[in-house]
Amino acid sequence: MLNDILQPKTALFEDGLQTVLRGHENRSRRVVILKGNLTVNVRSEGRGISARVGKDGLYGFASIAEYTPEAAEKVLKAAKNNALLLARHAEKRFPMPPAFERGIVPLNCPIVDTEQKKIIEACRALDTYIEKTYPDLTSRTVIYSEDSQDRIIYSSDACCGHVTSPRCYIYVFLNSVTKDGVPVELFKALGGAGSFDDQFADLTKYYPDIEALYKKLKDKAEGVYAEAGYKQVVLGGMMGGMLAHEAVGHTVEADLVLGGSVAGPNLRKRVASDLVNLTDFAHTYNGGLAPLPVFLDDEGIRATDAPLIENGILTGYMNNRETAEHFGVNPAGNARAWTFADEPLIRMRNTCVLPGKNTVEELIASVDDGYYLIDSGNGQADLTGEFMFGVTCGYEIKHGKLGRALLDTTVSGVAFDMLKTVDMVSDTVEWSSSGFCGKKQMIPVGMGGPHMRCMIMIGGR
Amino acid sequence: MSELKTIEAQLLQELQERAVSKYAYVLSETEKQELNTEGADFKLMRTVFGAGISVIVFDGTRKGAASGNDCSEEGIKSVVESAAAAAASSPEDAANDIAPDQGGHAFYQGIYEPDFERFFDRLKELQGAIAAEYSKVNVMQMVGDHTKTHSLYANSNGTKAESFRGCYDVTLEFSASDGEKNSGLDYTFLRTASLDKPLIELSDFRRKLSDIEKQIDPEPLQGKFEGTAVITPGCLVDLLSMTLENYAGSGVILDGTSLWLDKVGEKVADERITVGFDPFDETIVCAERITGDGFLAEPANVIENGVLKAHMLSLYAANKTGRPVMKSGSGLVMKAGAQSLEEIIGGIEKGLVVGGFSGGQPGTNGEFSGVAKNSFLIENGRVTKAVTETMINGNLGDMLQHVRGISAERDVQGIFTLPYLAVDGIIISGK
Repeated sequence: MLNDILQPKTALFEDGLQTVLRGHENRSRRVVILKGNLTVNVRSEGRGISARVGKDGLYGFASIAEYTPEAAEKVLKAAKNNALLLARHAEKRFPMPPAFERGIVPLNCPIVDTEQKKIIEACRALDTYIEKTYPDLTSRTVIYSEDSQDRIIYSSDACCGHVTSPRCYIYVFLNSVTKDGVPVELFKALGGAGSFDDQFADLTKYYPDIEALYKKLKDKAEGVYAEAGYKQVVLGGMMGGMLAHEAVGHTVEADLVLGGSVAGPNLRKRVASDLVNLTDFAHTYNGGLAPLPVFLDDEGIRATDAPLIENGILTGYMNNRETAEHFGVNPAGNARAWTFADEPLIRMRNTCVLPGKNTVEELIASVDDGYYLIDSGNGQADLTGEFMFGVTCGYEIKHGKLGRALLDTTVSGVAFDMLKTVDMVSDTVEWSSSGFCGKKQMIPVGMGGPHMRCMIMIGGR
Repeated sequence: MSELKTIEAQLLQELQERAVSKYAYVLSETEKQELNTEGADFKLMRTVFGAGISVIVFDGTRKGAASGNDCSEEGIKSVVESAAAAAASSPEDAANDIAPDQGGHAFYQGIYEPDFERFFDRLKELQGAIAAEYSKVNVMQMVGDHTKTHSLYANSNGTKAESFRGCYDVTLEFSASDGEKNSGLDYTFLRTASLDKPLIELSDFRRKLSDIEKQIDPEPLQGKFEGTAVITPGCLVDLLSMTLENYAGSGVILDGTSLWLDKVGEKVADERITVGFDPFDETIVCAERITGDGFLAEPANVIENGVLKAHMLSLYAANKTGRPVMKSGSGLVMKAGAQSLEEIIGGIEKGLVVGGFSGGQPGTNGEFSGVAKNSFLIENGRVTKAVTETMINGNLGDMLQHVRGISAERDVQGIFTLPYLAVDGIIISGK
């Protein structure tokens, strides 16, 4: 954990400049066991200090891979010089966002380090369990992936604080083949926020998840290609989360709105059926901690929820301080940076479509001829809201009942068109928190959603 | 930027005190100067001073690795401790190794000290050219940077390589609009060591900017057909990388799931396809000169005249499977074809120019499906209109077999040099 060596350096903040000084450490631990072979066994730590100095709407940023008082002084000076250098070349000036809430955000949780030996032993134990329990697999991979951020933030005109974001996962990949010998694969991420012992003190609790994954893989080995076209589907909760993040979330990031996203002309207009509600949660969901809680962002803004769609109406965007001022709203703490060397960008946190009133069973029973799409491997979206998700696990639905499993496919659509077709929403939400979102820098994000019945384009043979 | 020798001395002392006799390490210092625009305005200038220590240590045949950026005595000690602890907790595995002695080398690549004022002028000139010549284009963000890297690789077998590299990178993120009608988003990239030419003349900037203006208000494709996909170089880099990793990467050879597992020496692609990695190609800028395993980088074709020449194996995977290691991994280059792009398109009855692919990660069977981004319909030998909500579906392995044509033109972006590849048998579907 970082010691606070930065506070005395706030005395160097200059009047008339908006300054943020940040100490930041990233840790990662990674172990890969591929079919019993330990192929990756790595620990890494990166720490340093950055400063961002703003004047007349122009910003200078500097960072250095050292965590010392001297480094803090150096980055403050370099960031100011960069702002001045930019001012010499830039043709325009812009108003700075006003001062915001001052205060101290307390440390949310410690980061507990775990010996590599213990991590490897856990991965090997899980690998051995899979090998013995499922001998007919053609291959298997167990990956431990842990990353954490430890940040101390001092702002000249907003909040300060010391906040952490640890998370760790074990990814289990299982491989089999179809009757024609074509390889098929499924994976599941086990774990969540916190440190190793929070998630993996008892590995046996994950055995049912692995059993369910194995059964889905066997179904997939007997699977068929989806029929390409515009289909009625039930999107599972993980797919709902991907929808929340990719299809809508990116289009309502204010920097992309200013860049011409489809959300710009649609504020306060209907963009979805009235069953759809979407919020980017800061740290608390449904009375408990959100999957990846964010308490303070890297501009010094205390994090609060950002409502985005209410009863189908687009109600807001995600902002940094500057775009919040532009749109005349309060910032909610969405400006986040991945490492000490990164400037804060507008990023999602825990973006979730809220639950409805139907059961999952009711949704499936209501589809006469369509698909149940459960898991996604990845997704992307465009400024127009055109999106794509890879579908790694799904089933046919015939006359309200699940049919054959699907081989890998892809679904696509235009978000604000597709969301208007949502006509049933389940009463439970599933979350995913193991992913990274890429936008110049990567950043951990949580995404969640209920099951939804809707119309969507599906790729296939 | 002159402290690497000091850090190295401390690192070697730490390794010696721990009686580590087999090791490899990379030490680096970097300095990046970066300019960022938002819309048409310069808004942010960044300076990033970076450092890195990566150490691999062996305890017999046990291997552990650790890295950090704290170059203090305490930081160096911590990295070595972490690597040693990782090695001690890993299983014995005779496949773990480092490359044999490659000798001592010093590499000087690109432009180490930037001419930042001139770079600033070139970026402003690029902005001006886009505004003047592509008036419907909105550059959402332009990031231009120069990064200089001083690094030192060494291992206990005797290899020592010091490298000084510097290059300019430019990334453009843009869309286009006309009134309330908009295009989608597109990106492009350039790496160069020279500021002699206006940036607008480099990479695929002109084609991409021209194309995005034609993609305003695209039409959804109706129906489904099997046709020819003309894959642009910017899209081909993604599809080719997926293909090579999917069939020839270490992971799929190690676990035996590759469909090219026993195909070395056999035909896996159209005979016009020659593709591989060439860090010394004159169009590739500042590619790695030493591999992660400690080999001096060499040009290496994966496919030559349609025949699979090699798997892309790490030293570990090579030792584990008894196959040859690949001593390269950067600078993806495909040999140009004989026909012009215009000739290739002229011969296509119905197909799609695919500017980007947004799809799920294909499984080891190579089946892919996804959205064709920034794409145009081809009808009767002509590019007729921009399309949206259009999916393409095919198989990566089949794609290399069913080649309609390879263009004589290639895009040079500094990190890859690729032509247009036209492939038959792609399922193209709309609503």
